[in-house]
Amino acid sequence: MKILLVEDEAALRTALLASLKQAGYLAEAAADYAQAHEKIMLYQYDCILLDLTLPDGSGLDLLRALKAGGSPTGVLIITARDALDDKIAGLDLGADDYLIKPFHLSELNARVRAIIRRRQFNGQQQIVFRDLLVLPELAEVHVRGELITLTRKEYDLLLYLLANPGRVLTKEAIAEHLCGDAVDAADSFDFIYTHLKNLRKKLQEKGADNYIRTMYGVGYKLSHE
Amino acid sequence: MNLLNATTRYYLLLALLVFVGGSLGLYYGINWALRTEVGEQLADRRQELLAKARANELPPVDQLAVLLDISRTPRPLGFRDTILLDRTENELVPHRQLTFPLTVRGEGPVWVSLRKSLVEAEDLLGVVSALMLSVLALLLGGMVVLNRWLSARLWAPFRHTLAALRQYDLQQHRPLALPAPPVAEFAELNQALNGFSQRLVADYESLREFTANAAHETQTPLAIMQAQLEQLLQVPALAEDPAVAPLVADLYGATLRLSRLHQALSLLSKIENRQFAQAQPVRLDQLLAEKMAQLEPLFEARELRYGLDSSLPVVVQMHPGLADSLLQNLLQNAVKHNVRGGQLAVYLSNAELKVTNSGPAVEGDPARFFERFRKHNAASESPGLGLSIVQQICGYYGFGVAYSVAEEGTCHTLRVVLKPGAEALPQNAEISLVATE
Repeated sequence: MKILLVEDEAALRTALLASLKQAGYLAEAAADYAQAHEKIMLYQYDCILLDLTLPDGSGLDLLRALKAGGSPTGVLIITARDALDDKIAGLDLGADDYLIKPFHLSELNARVRAIIRRRQFNGQQQIVFRDLLVLPELAEVHVRGELITLTRKEYDLLLYLLANPGRVLTKEAIAEHLCGDAVDAADSFDFIYTHLKNLRKKLQEKGADNYIRTMYGVGYKLSHE
Repeated sequence: MNLLNATTRYYLLLALLVFVGGSLGLYYGINWALRTEVGEQLADRRQELLAKARANELPPVDQLAVLLDISRTPRPLGFRDTILLDRTENELVPHRQLTFPLTVRGEGPVWVSLRKSLVEAEDLLGVVSALMLSVLALLLGGMVVLNRWLSARLWAPFRHTLAALRQYDLQQHRPLALPAPPVAEFAELNQALNGFSQRLVADYESLREFTANAAHETQTPLAIMQAQLEQLLQVPALAEDPAVAPLVADLYGATLRLSRLHQALSLLSKIENRQFAQAQPVRLDQLLAEKMAQLEPLFEARELRYGLDSSLPVVVQMHPGLADSLLQNLLQNAVKHNVRGGQLAVYLSNAELKVTNSGPAVEGDPARFFERFRKHNAASESPGLGLSIVQQICGYYGFGVAYSVAEEGTCHTLRVVLKPGAEALPQNAEISLVATE
């Protein structure tokens, strides 16, 4: 999976690149409009992460150029400007999704995963992780061939974990993913705990034991081993 | 009292003074002139008689007494006023009288009183005074009318300026373009206002840019901090020392709080600067249902019994982002101040939005709940900006917002009046509550 990251802030670019590489993507970065334009003209990417405010141009123009070429590349807009107009303009131009800075890297992974999944038309419509098989089209989860029934929130939670295998997910990131943005951190994280407990129990019943690890004081992690 | 009435009032006051002063002056002046004239006529007659006496042309006193009032005994000399009965008109008439001694040859001295009626003089005085006063009154009245008419005409540019100022909206980013009327003062006023509004627009623009830039510049380092901390949490070395990871996680949590605080503050300043101009129809009922569904896990976590009553489509003209923020903050507030196993009921109609929640009794003045950084619980991690944002958004769109408490302080209601004067809510509307597991 090839991903292009267009972001002018060096420090943020480094962190995002590292995170994307950890998630198993072939990630490249462009620091400005010119670089980004050159890259999208020369190479084919599965997904582009696009900052709208660049020092030498607008990310919206890049999006226009990309879509004018009929590219099937997925586009995720990342912007600090929470101006509604920019987001709407971006989505109107054919962007798949948007994220407002600052965001959780795990949330970014989940969004990128979803975009790529939506854009893959030939097969591959399944997620396999150890003994787990998830069919997103049918919203079905199988453990060693056995179907398990999950509530909507549990299913969302599992997909979120599967988008970030081996990664420590903070409880704040999970809470925001399940409840939308602006969930006050002061509110209890009990509900994540409840959902995770139920999910774990259901996986465990079918023999998928110890998949979700608790990182004390931090959050949770979907473990590879 | 408008300016025209005020000036007219002073005009009239001045006119009255001039009127009274003029009338008095005129009366005494004419009176004095007439009396002097009468006095001169009497003196002339005296001269004439004295001259005749010296030339010895006067008839004897007996004959003279038929024509003149003559006395052989002395009388007080000089001018004096007296009143005599006019026999033809049978009324008392004021006269001017001049008494002097006269020596008729061979008969010794006699005292003669010459008299002249003042009635004609008084009539004349009346006519002249009346004429003068009516001219004066006409002049004054005319001046008032002319003044009013002229004022209405002359002040027209001022009224135009005032109307333009009233309609002025900084949101349009256009300075005032007032014309230059022929009256110098108004031209100057318009020029000053034009300059003023240009400065205002420029200042507003720079403030807006500043806010946007500040938000952007703060957001980026926060985004970097958050991303790097999240990456730091992934470092395998963290797992070796169980004490380190929670430290980083705390740092991460604090960064998130800072970021939320920053978002809330920049939202507040944006509302204050009225930077949410583009209102559009928002389906509040749909948005509310969405928000309720989104926050369901929170309700569950607190084991709340909750219910939503909004059967009608409710369309409100507002910025979609602000509508979202309004509902989010209202609902979050109702969850935050709730008790475990408590209640949360939301009612929405075309007229109002009402959020009722159970919760411990709160102390303090309810009006102060809307203040910034107002915390119900000092230890709370929330910065206490939620209700402040609610109030700002409501103020921005002219919605009324009120807090009320019932049932011994344990049932709190926040009411947002969307349309003032629309049909009132049946007070005891029961909302069926759903219990979470």
